[in-house]
Amino acid sequence: MPDITIALSKGRIFEDTIPFLKAAGIVPLDDPDTSRKLIIGTNRPDIRLVMVRATDVPTYVQYGAADLGVAGKDVLLEHDGVGLYQPLDLKIARCRMMVAVRDSYDYASAVFQGARLRVATKYVKTARSHFAAKGMHVDLIKLYGSMELAPLVDLADAIVDLVSTGGTLKANRLQAVEEIMPISARLIVNQAALKLKNPTIQPLLEAFNAAIPANI
Amino acid sequence: MRNWLLPEYIEDVLPRDAYRIEKIRRLIMDKLFVHGYQFVMPPLLEYVESLLAGSGSGMNLRMFKVVDQLSGRMMGLRADMTPQAARIDAHLLNTSGVTRLCYASSVVHTVPDEITRTREPFQVGAELYGHFGIESDLEIQRLLLECLSVSGIQSIHLDLGHIRVFRSLVYGSGIRPEFEMELYAALWAKDTSTLRELVYTGLNDLDKTVREALLLLPELYGDETVLLRARKYLPNFPEISEALDQLEHVAKALEPYVDRIIFDLADLRGYHYHTGMVFAAYTQGSPVAIALGGRYDEIGKSFGRARPATGFSLDLKQLSRLTDINDYPRGILAPWKPQDDELAAMIKQLRIAGHIVVTGLPGENSKEVAGCDRNLVLRNGKWEICPVSG
Repeated sequence: MPDITIALSKGRIFEDTIPFLKAAGIVPLDDPDTSRKLIIGTNRPDIRLVMVRATDVPTYVQYGAADLGVAGKDVLLEHDGVGLYQPLDLKIARCRMMVAVRDSYDYASAVFQGARLRVATKYVKTARSHFAAKGMHVDLIKLYGSMELAPLVDLADAIVDLVSTGGTLKANRLQAVEEIMPISARLIVNQAALKLKNPTIQPLLEAFNAAIPANI
Repeated sequence: MRNWLLPEYIEDVLPRDAYRIEKIRRLIMDKLFVHGYQFVMPPLLEYVESLLAGSGSGMNLRMFKVVDQLSGRMMGLRADMTPQAARIDAHLLNTSGVTRLCYASSVVHTVPDEITRTREPFQVGAELYGHFGIESDLEIQRLLLECLSVSGIQSIHLDLGHIRVFRSLVYGSGIRPEFEMELYAALWAKDTSTLRELVYTGLNDLDKTVREALLLLPELYGDETVLLRARKYLPNFPEISEALDQLEHVAKALEPYVDRIIFDLADLRGYHYHTGMVFAAYTQGSPVAIALGGRYDEIGKSFGRARPATGFSLDLKQLSRLTDINDYPRGILAPWKPQDDELAAMIKQLRIAGHIVVTGLPGENSKEVAGCDRNLVLRNGKWEICPVSG
């Protein structure tokens, strides 16, 4: 049984994490895009990777099913991360959490203290605290994908979503009107693992830290 | 109607688990008893204000509340017994010397614990009131380690921290309370990027030495070299060096009792009420700490009598899943023979020696009596213990 389990999600997070693993001398033995394996071994017998959904990464790490994980700030904000350390901002999978509305929508005059807005989003907590800080009421509509559609079919006045290039917004005639926060992926560590497996984990943290790209 | 179903995160404890919990409870209580810790039984519910004394807002949300029909005031079901013990020390015992108290009972939470997923932990704890010095911290921590080891926890990693390191940096630096809480949250999660953002934007008038010290704190965890680094790089405040001295002293004294001691100067667990050294015990197989504690000299103040205090508590249900105690005892079935004096004497002897002896009732079949694997059988005029056949 390997000593250390690292939880990753397929796609961008996995691809962007490869260089960090490499810096720590870890090479995955399979490619999750072609392999259907959920547990992927590495060149180091004491380290394995598990492939889970992005939103599940904090859960696996919190319960100690994985010792380490890489998760976006967006996911961590939605997850009630008790018992998680997030020591490193890996500065990968970067994008921004934005408020977006229809092109024709006058956001500036819809937003005032005491106003009420219908907001569709996957990021309910983030949206709630953002609008609460502005002193606004919002009726949150939880969606699991294709948020861009909501304002177009009048399901919501605005959406809160991740924006990286803005291409999807533009294609659907939406505009980003407000940045809530910049988002990037963090290395998260189970609290007990950091203490109990410190001799193995500490060198990994140091290697990851050294591989973080300098401020862009 | 499935009205036999229990509410979520509320469970019955069935015989095997209950046996283990009860066995550990007895072992721990005996240990505490011989160390002079007096057992107290605070009430299951009392006025919310006294249950919340000195705790953070998290506790308020975790507490079940009911309206007292006699006074119209709000009562809470205890979610933590520590404030109750502090209240007892402050007002009921009211001695000026040292008081040692212990308790063991269920507490209830409105929301389940993140990891153990229960709303009804079984809390066991010991508290020591009336002594300021490091010696009492040491006594409590050593006692915790002994309790864990008697409970069948084989390898223990002890995590030591000190609230005064962070507090002395924050006090006198003019940090507003709302930022203090944000700083606390970032440090607690070792979230260095949020921390960096915080000290460079929200707190940009911060003293340079304090800023650098705050940024360093999340990295100050690990073996004893942490203390060396802390002495070298943290500002030379008397409070900090005193805290580091205390950590070093305690670590040295506890070394023989644990597998490993880890320091963590950003471990701000219970920052709302802790005031000095804090500690957490970890063991393999548990993703969270199995026991917590530390110094809390201020809680008594809200009861009108500030007393130095330190203590620990743990959830016995959680502990019982990690123990290597696994000796569920089986019983001996005696036949129904009320006239047989020899048999009665034998049963009495066996029970005195601690054996389980079940006297079968008329018509009770030996294969049906739960938990018995042996019989008392009459052979050559003498009662003997034989394994249940078949």
